[in-house]
Amino acid sequence: MYSEDQGASKKMIRIESISKDLGEFFLRDVTLDIKEGEYFVILGPTGAGKTILLESIAGIYRPDRGRIFLSDCDITDVPPRERNIGMVYQDYILFPFLTVAENIGFGLKSRKIGKGEITGKVDELAKLLGVSHLSHRYPATLSGGEQQKVAIARAIAIEPRVLLLDEPLSALDSRTRDYLREELKRVKEEFGITMIHVTHDQTEALVLADRIAVMMNGRIMQVGTPNDIFNKPRNKDLADFAGVENIWSGIVRNNENGIVAIEVETGDTIFAVSEYPDGAVKVFLRPEEIILSEHKEDSSARNVIKGRINELQDIGPLTHIKLDIGLIAHITKQSRESIGLQRGDEVYATFKATSVHVVRE
Amino acid sequence: MLNESKVSKIKIITILSCLLLAFFILVLITCVVTHTTLPALMTSLASKEIQFAITLSLTTAAISTILCIAISIPAAYALARYEFFGKSLINTLMDVPLALPPLVAGVGLLILFGTTSFGKALAEMGLVFVFTPLGIIIAQFFVNVPFMFRILRGTFQGINPRYEHVAETLGCTEAQAFWRVTLPMSKNGLMAGSVITWSKGIGEFGAALMVAGATRMKTETLPISLYLNMSCGELDLAIASATILIVISLVTLFIFERYGGFARVF
Repeated sequence: MYSEDQGASKKMIRIESISKDLGEFFLRDVTLDIKEGEYFVILGPTGAGKTILLESIAGIYRPDRGRIFLSDCDITDVPPRERNIGMVYQDYILFPFLTVAENIGFGLKSRKIGKGEITGKVDELAKLLGVSHLSHRYPATLSGGEQQKVAIARAIAIEPRVLLLDEPLSALDSRTRDYLREELKRVKEEFGITMIHVTHDQTEALVLADRIAVMMNGRIMQVGTPNDIFNKPRNKDLADFAGVENIWSGIVRNNENGIVAIEVETGDTIFAVSEYPDGAVKVFLRPEEIILSEHKEDSSARNVIKGRINELQDIGPLTHIKLDIGLIAHITKQSRESIGLQRGDEVYATFKATSVHVVRE
Repeated sequence: MLNESKVSKIKIITILSCLLLAFFILVLITCVVTHTTLPALMTSLASKEIQFAITLSLTTAAISTILCIAISIPAAYALARYEFFGKSLINTLMDVPLALPPLVAGVGLLILFGTTSFGKALAEMGLVFVFTPLGIIIAQFFVNVPFMFRILRGTFQGINPRYEHVAETLGCTEAQAFWRVTLPMSKNGLMAGSVITWSKGIGEFGAALMVAGATRMKTETLPISLYLNMSCGELDLAIASATILIVISLVTLFIFERYGGFARVF
């Protein structure tokens, strides 16, 4: 299964068009390459089949079709215990009748390692994840964050080639989540483990991922860097999912040195950098890419559209503003206040041609 | 005001019903226990016949409980974890012994082991069930296995299969994952199931009577002893058996409540 274009980093996992049907959840023809030492995030809405994909990699399910390779070895028929792949679930799944230390040492005990060595290793891992003081406690007495740290320690104790994380932060409060996110990064750096992390949370994907695969209805829709996924979605569903709030259908009217003029359904003309010189296209623009001003500003940006503010809504540190021409912009609360924007105000929306992403209809 | 007095009337009536029922139960037990004097009870307990009945009851119930555990663990696990053809039918069939009158179960066992070629083949191998203590064990097993089975099925269903999955990624075979994770997590269920199966085994009468008969000092368990002594007027011996059965029931009830098994049986 050697391929020429491996580049600098070696392939760790290769998933070759696997399918699995479990009734409610399914995988359809999933193909993925995950590089050694990569932090790979599988992003998708609930019910997309993300967990089955992880469980197939772990060996809990055998795919109906397709093969799975671990550093070029076909592991499709290898049982989980021989794969050396760690698993961390959203609901921790700590063994309730074992102490924290016994949980962390569980996998080492299966490996017939000496007692002293196990204790040493468990102590080291407990220290690394900051759960040493909990060693003799039972899981039921720990907070969610503490339990997840123990689950991570237990999974990396067996020195896995790959660590699978199934929504590991989703059950935690936001402060713990931020903290544990950094811990995961640290674990990856410290051990050089290849991480495959499943989540529905875009921020999590953005912060953690070297690369992201977006999964919907059991299929991989797009694989790419966080920038690719969030700024260059391949179709309307992906754009929607990635939080691109401005989506238009349009027709390319003019093409000058790679900058196209697209007439969109609202009648406005939008300039974009595009590889499609003609025909029907979809136009995507993230709401953060738009600058609003009261006066037409002198800028190199190609696109300036006039509109009237229909709706203003403060969401966290951002203000979401909807214009009568259907444009949605997110600006910081601070800049909204400094300009003094109100409902009914007439404003200019300015954005760069390079911020606009165009795909074939 | 009117409403308030109505509510308290209901309160009084319902609480009175409770008290009445509790009183009835208490009186009944007291009647049995106080029917004889303590010295007479001690003498009866020391008699060879009661000693024999106690030993036979304890051992047959223990053996039938072990048999119930041995078959229920795999059977309940299969029904809790896997999908297979005929699963719902099997699920229903497993409950039949619960609904069947023990006498009917006993007749069935008697016919199976006494008249069919299967029973005769077993008898030739030395496994004689009819009119022997073995018959008591098989009767207790048949009547009580649904209790163990249902508790364990509920217990296994309540354990997220992900525990086994994690154990397998940590180096366990399927069997090791069951042994090291699922079984310890089923401890309460196993405990509750064993206690109820064992205590019901000790009290088993109808089915055991049919298969093993009521032979003094041979197939004489505590309930059989109670029945035999009652029918020939040996009241002191009968009361001794009854008292032991009451004590066993109360202790069982206490343990069972502690492990919260009732919710899982019915």
